[in-house]
Amino acid sequence: MVQVAGLDPQPAYLTKKPVNSLSSQRHGGGIHEEYSMNALRQSVRGSLPYFAAIVGIVLIWQAVVVVTQPSPMLLPSPALVTSTLAELFTSGELFVHAGFSLGRVLAAWLLAVAIAIPLGLAQGSSPIVERFLDPVVELFRPISPLAWIPLAILWFGIGESGKVFVIFIATFFPILLNTVSGVKSVDPVLIRAGQVLGCRTQLKLFRHVILPAAMPSIMVGLRISFGTGWAAIIAAELVAANKGLGFLIADGMEILRSDRVLAGMIIIGVLGVLIDTAFRLFGKKMRREEYQ
Amino acid sequence: MSTDQAPKALGIKVDNVSKLYYPAAQEPVEALRPIRLDINPGAFVAIIGPSGCGKSTLLNLMAGFEKPTAGSLYAGSQRIEGPDPDRGMVFQQYALFPWLTVRENVAFGLKLAGVREGERHDRADEYLALVGLKDFANAMPSALSGGMKQRAALARAFCTDSSIILMDEPFGALDALTRGFLQQELLRIWQEHRKTVVLVTHSVQEALFLANRVIVMTHRPGRIKRDEAIELSYPRDPMTEAFRQLEYSILSDLQEELHAAHGVVSAQPTQ
Repeated sequence: MVQVAGLDPQPAYLTKKPVNSLSSQRHGGGIHEEYSMNALRQSVRGSLPYFAAIVGIVLIWQAVVVVTQPSPMLLPSPALVTSTLAELFTSGELFVHAGFSLGRVLAAWLLAVAIAIPLGLAQGSSPIVERFLDPVVELFRPISPLAWIPLAILWFGIGESGKVFVIFIATFFPILLNTVSGVKSVDPVLIRAGQVLGCRTQLKLFRHVILPAAMPSIMVGLRISFGTGWAAIIAAELVAANKGLGFLIADGMEILRSDRVLAGMIIIGVLGVLIDTAFRLFGKKMRREEYQ
Repeated sequence: MSTDQAPKALGIKVDNVSKLYYPAAQEPVEALRPIRLDINPGAFVAIIGPSGCGKSTLLNLMAGFEKPTAGSLYAGSQRIEGPDPDRGMVFQQYALFPWLTVRENVAFGLKLAGVREGERHDRADEYLALVGLKDFANAMPSALSGGMKQRAALARAFCTDSSIILMDEPFGALDALTRGFLQQELLRIWQEHRKTVVLVTHSVQEALFLANRVIVMTHRPGRIKRDEAIELSYPRDPMTEAFRQLEYSILSDLQEELHAAHGVVSAQPTQ
């Protein structure tokens, strides 16, 4: 059953259709076709501004190249960068570098998730933990993760662990802070409701009320942290790596191939947007509905 | 209803309970001055009083959310030490869990009591039918109107099988039409299930329409000013002479308290 948006004969909740076309429905089926149609339509509509932005940037870029006639070593034309991109793609070089960068971020991010979420839950729900942890967090938070790169190299050399360490620091704080604020902003009346409905222990209250109530905020932390991790890995790879997208652009500079630098930057940007979009879609799917 | 347990209800005993609050760097506030109150099992008691009189405090003490400064409270013979699923609560803010469907919300208490999913959903559906929300079992709370949310919250409180249900101005945020409708539904459910209900309200009409005992509280510090058994037969008609006389007399008691409270307030400079 495919419906034209805006012509629903009945309110969404009567037709067992998800209220938000991107959210899923636990009970009842037969909505997948409609769901994917709506999702497709929405994603096409949502990405239109992106295409406009890309066209605009390429036009300006081309204009600058035509007017100033720079050396291709400094500013290559869009066409040259496109062919370099295609070359990186067909040779498989792109996948190696992107794979290394993504793998490092993923490993460090998972480590940060495993530590920051429990810590954030503890800090958000216990004033004592909060009192000890908050000053530490506040002291470390203003230090850019990039400032840890020299220490990381001294401690771990230029191997994988140093980069994982830097990304761990970059991803840790957004996860922690969002988890803490998620737990702290749980509506007290929901906690009371949980208590009178049978959450006799703090643990049950946690599992059945506090955690699900804090989930939207935790999801935001997970998404933002992956973004900061993605930004930081490039910097870490600029300094010390022989694989990865950061290395790709640093190497492009050393061999005076700014087309490779720009191609690498484009891949970083596109992957960043894709990852963020994936998180958003997943987050919406998990929420099943919209509530702020 | 196929939930055929023997109707269970517990009384509440409030034994010389007082409550003081200690705001930081300020004089302590006396919310309740020693109160004695015996509520019979299965009674429908309405507590009414000027705002800030401590009626919500009294309800929170019964729920176990707060501890008395002195005295103690009992549910049946059990001393009240903290919140317990045997004392359910309906909140003015509905307090539905936004991440659960309406059915899951209503079945939440049964889930924590360890009832199997199939059975608890069946029972939730019964109570949803009772409040006229059968077709909304799979909806998320955000898709419901205020009145529907409160009906779901009523179903949740009664489905959990508590012996006492506490209500903190449950219909205060609703429009008059919805409020009247929900009052009738609440009365119907209570007559069917005979749980002990304590309702805090600021509407004299609501109290007289529903309760078989009305307690009027004084302004702060809260004490019991009047304790009136309401012997009018159900369903009650606010247009009858007896109803109106009671309403008038309780209103004038409240008026008295309001004036007294105002006298105190206006003697101090306003912030």
